[in-house]
Amino acid sequence: MSATLSAPVPAARRIRRRWLSPLLLLLPTLLVMAYAFIAPLATFFEYSFYRFRRGRLEQVFTLDTYSRFLFDDYYHLIIYDTLRMAALVTVLSLVIGYPLAYALHRITRPSIQRFLGLLIFTPILVSVVVRSYGWIILLSDQGPVNWLLLRLGIIAEPVALVFNLFGVVISLTHVFLPFVVFPIFTSLQRIEPELKEAAEDLGAGWWTTFRRVTFPLSLPGVVAGAQISFTLALGAFVTPAMLGGGRVFVLPLQVYNATSEINWPVAAVGGMVLLIISTIAVAGFNRALKYSEVR
Amino acid sequence: MAAQAHRPAGTPWRYIVLGCFTVAASLFIIAPLAIVVLNSFNNVAYTVFPPQEFSTRWYANLFQQDIFYAAAWRSIVLATLSTAIALVIGVMAAYALVRYRLPAPNLIKAFLLSPIVLPKIVLGVALFMFFVRVRLIDNYSSLLVTHVLVILPFVIALVSASLANFDWTLQEAAMDLGAGPVRTFFRVILPQISLSVAIAGVLAFITSFDQVETTIFMVRTGSNTLPVEVFLYLQKWQDPTIAALSTLLILFAIALLLLISVMVRGRKLPFIPQRAGEATP
Repeated sequence: MSATLSAPVPAARRIRRRWLSPLLLLLPTLLVMAYAFIAPLATFFEYSFYRFRRGRLEQVFTLDTYSRFLFDDYYHLIIYDTLRMAALVTVLSLVIGYPLAYALHRITRPSIQRFLGLLIFTPILVSVVVRSYGWIILLSDQGPVNWLLLRLGIIAEPVALVFNLFGVVISLTHVFLPFVVFPIFTSLQRIEPELKEAAEDLGAGWWTTFRRVTFPLSLPGVVAGAQISFTLALGAFVTPAMLGGGRVFVLPLQVYNATSEINWPVAAVGGMVLLIISTIAVAGFNRALKYSEVR
Repeated sequence: MAAQAHRPAGTPWRYIVLGCFTVAASLFIIAPLAIVVLNSFNNVAYTVFPPQEFSTRWYANLFQQDIFYAAAWRSIVLATLSTAIALVIGVMAAYALVRYRLPAPNLIKAFLLSPIVLPKIVLGVALFMFFVRVRLIDNYSSLLVTHVLVILPFVIALVSASLANFDWTLQEAAMDLGAGPVRTFFRVILPQISLSVAIAGVLAFITSFDQVETTIFMVRTGSNTLPVEVFLYLQKWQDPTIAALSTLLILFAIALLLLISVMVRGRKLPFIPQRAGEATP
């Protein structure tokens, strides 16, 4: 619009300006990305091809560290534990997150919907360290959960709920729940109400309507939620470190420990394995997302 | 509201089940925060439920610990600085993404948002190795640029979503009336997207304030940020001093929440989904 009204600008200058402005606007961000993202990742990648022997870093190109990682049962177990933890967290957060998103979607009174929404999303504002600490107290031997189970007579003596896989999975589910509820809620909100009405008019009961109409149409949200919680769980460090009690030795902890022990090549290879697993997971979920949208 | 017309008069049992589940899930969400507050008033140094005696001694103990006070101050300064920087350069980048025709715009956007996807521990260790190599590990600028990098994607994502909904005829009108591009931005565009920028700022601040993995290798004893200090303290001790501190942090979060709800009062957020078929005024 403005171009037609203002005086004609020479073509060469116009083309240069068309490129110059966005480049200048993007430049600070691109510089930060190059300096604090690309260069560090390149360094990280480089260290994965070095070797650490007899307490010393050897800066020679070698695949030793990779092959040690890939053929050692110790590291296989770490990878297996990481995948198992992420899978458990994903399943549990979907099991809790789906009905919660559905409730948030079905509540028609705006004040209650607003309240529930705030309740679900407020924990994001509180530090993960604080939330994990809360779970340590909740699940400890003398804590409220054991107290309740004892009072109800379900158990005779306190059971170990924390400093093991159980505690980590529960706490991570709590941390990721908002990220699972949000995409499911979004896809539920997008469903045209006419579709449900049509199903009900055609004689389908609520269960059939849910199973054949609502649930399939909300699948993209489920897949997106699973993607977020699985990939976040793969990279989780604070919660497994605090609530794992040394029994949940996942890849991020291995990377942290190796770095602390100045064994950078092993840290770098562990991180690369984590990155590769994450990438495969993201790609797999993207594939599932496409499939879930087609139906 | 179409759903209501089909709801039978009596509440079906499935809604009761869903209601009970929702209450239970709400308890699940609240419990770890509530127990921290309760435990901060617990008189004894170990966890015991229900608490036998209440006291405020852990708060008194907390206020005597200079390390937490110094760490909190350090975190606030760092979060404020990095948020300010990320807001300025993030809004610029979002503007370029939405307003200009770039080559492969989706690829550029995916690249700019990619630090979110990367496991934070990988990012933290990579930054540590890099800054050790360039001998800037004990430099404050390293810490600052790390936090800017981590929070930039949030700013770019939120602000570009808001700019995508912006009515660009307003900008054209302002430019046609003779306002320069900079003046148009500050007088016309910025007021329209101010809510999203403010929310992005709050989220960026919190995200910076909550960094553990990306920061833990970058700081030393005596220069720790608050979450790192708390994390390391909890590796050694678990007395309710941390509960008292956490209670203050929860209050801080609630204050932020009130701030956000005052900001969004009566306004529509571009990124909150509306129910399909519902008229949007």
